[in-house]
Amino acid sequence: MSALVHAVDALRVPLPLAQGVTENNPIIRWSYLTEQSDRIIQALVQHVQLTVGAVSIGLALSMVLAGIGLRYRWTMGPITGTTAVLYTIPSVAFFGVLVPYTGSSATTALIPLVCFTLLILVTNIVDGFRAVPRPVKEAAEGMGLSPTSRVLTVELPIATPYIINGLRIATVTTVGLVTVAAIIGYGGLGRLILDGLRRGFWTPLTIGAALSILLAIVLDLAFFLLGRALTPWSRSVRTGRSGDHGEAGDDADAGSDPAGAARPVTAGA
Amino acid sequence: MGATLAQQAVPRDTGVFEFLLDPDRWTGSTGILASGADSVLLCAAVIVTSIVLAVPAATVLAHGRRLELTSAWVVNIGRAMPTFGVAGLLVPFSLRAGYGFEPWPIFIALTLLTVPPMYLSTYTAIRQVPAGAVDAARAVGYTERDVLLRVELPLALRVIGTGVRVAAVQVVATEPIRAFLGGDGLGRYVRDGLGQNNSNLVIAGAILIGLLAASTGLLFAGLEWLLMPAGVRRLGGARTGRVQSSDATILTTDDGDGEAAGGPPGLHVASEPAEAGASSGGVRGSP
Repeated sequence: MSALVHAVDALRVPLPLAQGVTENNPIIRWSYLTEQSDRIIQALVQHVQLTVGAVSIGLALSMVLAGIGLRYRWTMGPITGTTAVLYTIPSVAFFGVLVPYTGSSATTALIPLVCFTLLILVTNIVDGFRAVPRPVKEAAEGMGLSPTSRVLTVELPIATPYIINGLRIATVTTVGLVTVAAIIGYGGLGRLILDGLRRGFWTPLTIGAALSILLAIVLDLAFFLLGRALTPWSRSVRTGRSGDHGEAGDDADAGSDPAGAARPVTAGA
Repeated sequence: MGATLAQQAVPRDTGVFEFLLDPDRWTGSTGILASGADSVLLCAAVIVTSIVLAVPAATVLAHGRRLELTSAWVVNIGRAMPTFGVAGLLVPFSLRAGYGFEPWPIFIALTLLTVPPMYLSTYTAIRQVPAGAVDAARAVGYTERDVLLRVELPLALRVIGTGVRVAAVQVVATEPIRAFLGGDGLGRYVRDGLGQNNSNLVIAGAILIGLLAASTGLLFAGLEWLLMPAGVRRLGGARTGRVQSSDATILTTDDGDGEAAGGPPGLHVASEPAEAGASSGGVRGSP
């Protein structure tokens, strides 16, 4: 519990009352970057670790949940419902509520972060597998593929753009939420922000905030490029018109069905 | 303005429900009612501003199928903005300009959080109106304005409403970080509880925040139903929402790579099983 007491001690320091930006306390003091580079790097590393950890665990859980939901259709409602409720829990409340039970630890930070990724990932994975056109599945069966190899070699590649897209949203969202975990003393760059706010010292605040925004943008871009790299075939697919309702259901390509609307819910199942 | 920061001292042996059921805790300047009003006021201001900024623009642009690629980028960049980071970044600027800790930084950050998904859901809602209905309206001589206001908008209302509800819940769920940015609001009890090492106070605060978020979802669901034109309501979800309007709508944006995927750029709403739409309460943001 000493970690908790330590984290909580920091919180006792009240915010400075309307201390302005002065010459001694500019919005950013550049020398801080070199003097405190260890601290900044440490915060950045922790931020990335929490993000990667939460999204990886979230992805593993979501794969299982999506698998169950696709296999046993009646479970889909409860699964989506539960993950949606988890997603709605206000972040400050979620982090705070866990402190009495799991203390100020990585676990306390990770549990809400993982829960927040589930709805995004499950939805996208399910959508991805539902986007596999029935004729494609039948053709795969007709060629004698076993269910396992059909899923891995036919359905998974078709679902990949959806899954990558889900990962992208989940990752960017998580980068933002990690900063909130600073309130329990475990927030990566969020700690720089909170520390800066508490001490009324703007440099760490600015650095923490700017780096968290930058990290989100960089990861967003990385997943965009990863998605392109993993699905080279999708670039050559002919564009379908948005008005063509009839054929869209048979269209394997995610992007050519802009509304997704035309795809009957049953088609992919 | 500055922060009030009057902490509410609560004895550690006060039980969660003892705290919540004590009338004295509800009144006064640090009371639950005052803090709740603080939160509600800020959230209402953010939601109204976001609706004004996002919905009309998205409606008009989607009608003309304009700026699809730009829209996708805007939504994307908006999603990448961590609310806490943005608000924190704005604090020194706000102080320098003499506006104090509150409420501008958190107001701007929350608005940035809300506008992109609201814009996206509205844009997609208009776009997914069946082409046949639009063509028919044009064929019987509707002007473009009528097509938009009397055909597309009513048919899109269900999905637009869902988008607004989801965004509203997102605002309410994110607003408590304001307590850590030099403000108060309902998040104060969690902050004070953490500061005083009082887990009962933290839990009580979390319950209050959760209740506010849940009632926001219900309130907007009610409003959606009330504001739905009778004709559209009679159609039922089956035909108006060709896409089942669901919270997940906002989470499955397919963006910049629209052209890479070979389709019309930008916006993609995934269909979603009907039961999910009914059961899910709302969506949280990316603070």
